[in-house]
Amino acid sequence: MVDPTIRWKSRKKLNLLNTEYPRVDASAKVTGSARFSHDMRLPGMVYGRLVMIPASRATIESIDLSQALATPGVVLAELAEEDKDQVRYLGDDAVVAIVCGTSPETAQDGVRAVQIEWTPEDNMLISEEQISAPDAPKINRRGNLRQSGERGDAEKTVQALGSADVQVSATYSVPVQHHLCLETHGCVVDYNGGDEATVYASTQAVSGNPGSFARHLGLKSSQVRVVCQHMGGGFGSKFGIGLEGAMACRAARQLKRPVHLMLDRKAEFLMTGNRSGSRQVMRAGASKDGRIVALEVEAFKFGGTSGGSLPTPPYMYQVEEAYAKINTVHQALDGNRAMRAPGHPQASFAMESMVDELAYGIGMDPLEFRIKNLSDEAHHRQLRRVAKEIGWDVHPNRSGPGKKPLASGQRPAGAPLPPAGDHWKEGIGFGVSRWGGGGHGGARCEVRIDSDGSVTSSCAVQDLGTGSRTYVGTIVAEELGLGLNAVKARIGDSALPPGVASGGSVTTGSVAPAVQHAALLAREALEKKLEPVLGAEPGAYTFDKGRVFVTDDPKKSLSWQEACALLGRDPLVVTGKHQGKLADGGVHGSQAVRVAVNTRTGQIKVLDMVAVQSQGLTLNRLATKSQINGGMVGALSYALFEQRVLDADFGNLLSANMEDYKIAGAKDIPRMRALIDDDDMRPTVSGMAEGTGVPGAGAIANAVYNACGARVRHLPLTPDRVLEALKDA
Amino acid sequence: MKNFEMALPNSVDEAVGLLPKTLSDDRARLLAGGQDLLTEMKEYLVEPDLVVNLKSIPDLDGVVWASDGSLEIGALTTLASLEKDASIAAAFPALVQAAASIASPQIRSAATVGGNLNQRPRCWYYRSEDYPCLKKGGTECFSYYGKNRYNAILGGGPSYIVHPSDLAPALVALGAEVQLISPRGERVLTLEEFFVLPSEGDVLRETRLAADEVLTRIRVPAPAAGQRSIYLKFKERDAYDFALAAVALVLQTDGDKLASCRLVLGAVAPVPWRCTRTERKLAGRPLGEELVALAAQDALADAEPLSENGYKVPLTQGLIAEAFEALTI
Repeated sequence: MVDPTIRWKSRKKLNLLNTEYPRVDASAKVTGSARFSHDMRLPGMVYGRLVMIPASRATIESIDLSQALATPGVVLAELAEEDKDQVRYLGDDAVVAIVCGTSPETAQDGVRAVQIEWTPEDNMLISEEQISAPDAPKINRRGNLRQSGERGDAEKTVQALGSADVQVSATYSVPVQHHLCLETHGCVVDYNGGDEATVYASTQAVSGNPGSFARHLGLKSSQVRVVCQHMGGGFGSKFGIGLEGAMACRAARQLKRPVHLMLDRKAEFLMTGNRSGSRQVMRAGASKDGRIVALEVEAFKFGGTSGGSLPTPPYMYQVEEAYAKINTVHQALDGNRAMRAPGHPQASFAMESMVDELAYGIGMDPLEFRIKNLSDEAHHRQLRRVAKEIGWDVHPNRSGPGKKPLASGQRPAGAPLPPAGDHWKEGIGFGVSRWGGGGHGGARCEVRIDSDGSVTSSCAVQDLGTGSRTYVGTIVAEELGLGLNAVKARIGDSALPPGVASGGSVTTGSVAPAVQHAALLAREALEKKLEPVLGAEPGAYTFDKGRVFVTDDPKKSLSWQEACALLGRDPLVVTGKHQGKLADGGVHGSQAVRVAVNTRTGQIKVLDMVAVQSQGLTLNRLATKSQINGGMVGALSYALFEQRVLDADFGNLLSANMEDYKIAGAKDIPRMRALIDDDDMRPTVSGMAEGTGVPGAGAIANAVYNACGARVRHLPLTPDRVLEALKDA
Repeated sequence: MKNFEMALPNSVDEAVGLLPKTLSDDRARLLAGGQDLLTEMKEYLVEPDLVVNLKSIPDLDGVVWASDGSLEIGALTTLASLEKDASIAAAFPALVQAAASIASPQIRSAATVGGNLNQRPRCWYYRSEDYPCLKKGGTECFSYYGKNRYNAILGGGPSYIVHPSDLAPALVALGAEVQLISPRGERVLTLEEFFVLPSEGDVLRETRLAADEVLTRIRVPAPAAGQRSIYLKFKERDAYDFALAAVALVLQTDGDKLASCRLVLGAVAPVPWRCTRTERKLAGRPLGEELVALAAQDALADAEPLSENGYKVPLTQGLIAEAFEALTI
């Protein structure tokens, strides 16, 4: 029984939470002692490899596994599907066989020994020209191009456009983006026959996956334990077990020995989903006094065999009259999956760009134009703050690109400088985000206190790199007045009380309240043990710095060890569950960027990024800042570098490694400042990280325009596009 | 990769004795730092039975200054040691700038000068086993009709690769020579001669290195009085990346005139692209904006971009302008 008015401690009283502290597993990750699924090595284990046909459309004539089976060290080679005679898309449908060997090398030798006779189809169904050819086969039962959504009044929108003082027509596009988990998808299935299995899986849903693995092992959920102690990124792509998980189980079941099946990078790119691409054809109008009076959008989502994702426009900003038509374009390619705020960065890039174009079009400061057309006060205060941090108030070019390099005094003190030379132009851009977050029921947390004073806090939740392992311990330590590492956190194991799947930034809002509830239950139970010794009723104690006091009579006290010794042989064990009052969604973010653009070569250097982000009560300010930085890094990479390259004639992926699929590296990262919005005083917790990756790409593109007048409407902002746009500047 | 045997020769003579006599015999490969060969083997682009490891040969690494001020660089000298050498930085800034621009610190600590000059193209069609491209004995350069944003704008055909080396343009601009040893003895070529266009020779190769030949040393002539040099590399990202375009420029001035220069472009042609005509046009002209503009315009006048790489023309022109400005203004 905990007080029904359960709440977090007030911010002033917090010793650990809402401060900056390192993650408990930081040293394990830095030193390499942290074991990921990829690192598991088990007695008798074999390595699985998938065999793929490198084409999006193919007819399979024959597959001969005999030479693979004859390869030394190969213990299994079999077809993915009997009688499969066609590849319908370049993704898991192109997987035709699995080979297992006693070493990664022998498995690979086995893969190469598989003899496949296949014929490419005439139409690879990748380019828009190919999928819309009159005789193009249908990728999806509903056709290759279809209308999938509509909102608003088309006629009224056209009228409103006509009445606008300024009208802008523009098409914006963003490419498909890979999740690029550093640890590829896959698992290690520890099964030796019998009625129990443990699966070391790189997964975003530890508690949710035993059933899926069990089905493929011919077991029941209760017989399968899923373990994920550390993982190298999921970003929305690791909810299910995938074909790779199913194949690993199938092989383990047949071989009755452990199977290690982690995808190689090429397969990772080909079959584990992606952020869908989009093209948004827009017409918008603004009034001279700075209102967005109309927005007409025809959007196309490129999600491969899946539907793609895009929130229906207008995105974020208030528009008086809007009409949107959404189309889904299917290509014979891997389907999109959830990825860090699915659909939002795509929508944001187009909308933030259009908002900027309208603002400059009517000659208004784009910051003021944003504030005028955003309804949430949180955005107003945040935008003013990031504007000040980035130096907008001293920036000379607030109504259009400047002609001259900035002078000293036209940047805030300490601002990073552009490279020398008149051809380097400098500019600033903005963007905003809103995200759901919050939490939902289902999570449980067990707290156990032993008589030697040791404390364990347990929840099956996975840590995607956000710091969940750390707060599963520190929330309890805070409540019991203990230090940072005093509480042992156990997570990432489906045998523990359930966590939730990590999607939509809901992990913190779902799990942390259950941990806090368990901490309060444990404290209350311990106080009952103290009553006969210290004389005060439960509720009348203070836990601080490793001691327990009677609040009104601090001389009556015990050390933590002495208090726990009262437990004797029976550990104190309590289980907390999710408490809706402790979490609340709805978070805001605003970002500003300073860039330099080389007008000769089209090179963009991002000099400075600043983000302010709200979330209510912060559990760990260092981890939260790290998440905000991560959002900015991801957006920078999306904005400047990332693009999947396919050869449509051959139906094949060219950017099949991390040389050709470029992402931001350490040297591409500018000064980044992550600011927590402490004006959000809500006494509740929430995740917020997905929102932090949303506005950056639009803000960078807007900064490029502000710098040199090059309006680049297509991501990534590569030098060829900047040089092309400069022709119109 | 395929299993192989590795030989550890004690001398260059022993090493070349292990190599095949003809170019069509690809059973053996030379290994230096391994930064290119191992990736080719992992991707099954080459599958040698024998790998001849040059690292076991003494005295092939390190640099020696001759009394005339010229520099001899052993082929096994690592890029990292070049990059850190203050006396080379003083005499040949372009060379150190080029070395420092390559890949990552980890790769530079293993990669060698000889390996860098002999590395194979990065074109994605070449690097993917799925494409039997011209460079691998096929009949087509897929980049011509395909995805070619990184391919050649100068000197292309029938293959449109770009030479990926950063050291090569810098060393050609500095007038370097290479020493090649085979069972027939030693020969010396200018580095400029060492590289061949696909239209001039064997399309399967980028150099004149014979099947049984090893590049052992590079000689950089002493800098002329007042010689200045620079290497500018444009990468799509600042983290390790190959160039989209690069410029190596070596020049001398005479008062307010350009006495002479050597201008070599990287990553725009199948070889380090020396702009000889431009060099001649510029010699003797007054320094200043006009000279810079002429250099940029003339050097790219013959460019024939493919469908997706027209941007390399203004980009390279921008780099040329930056290089001249850096050395003369």
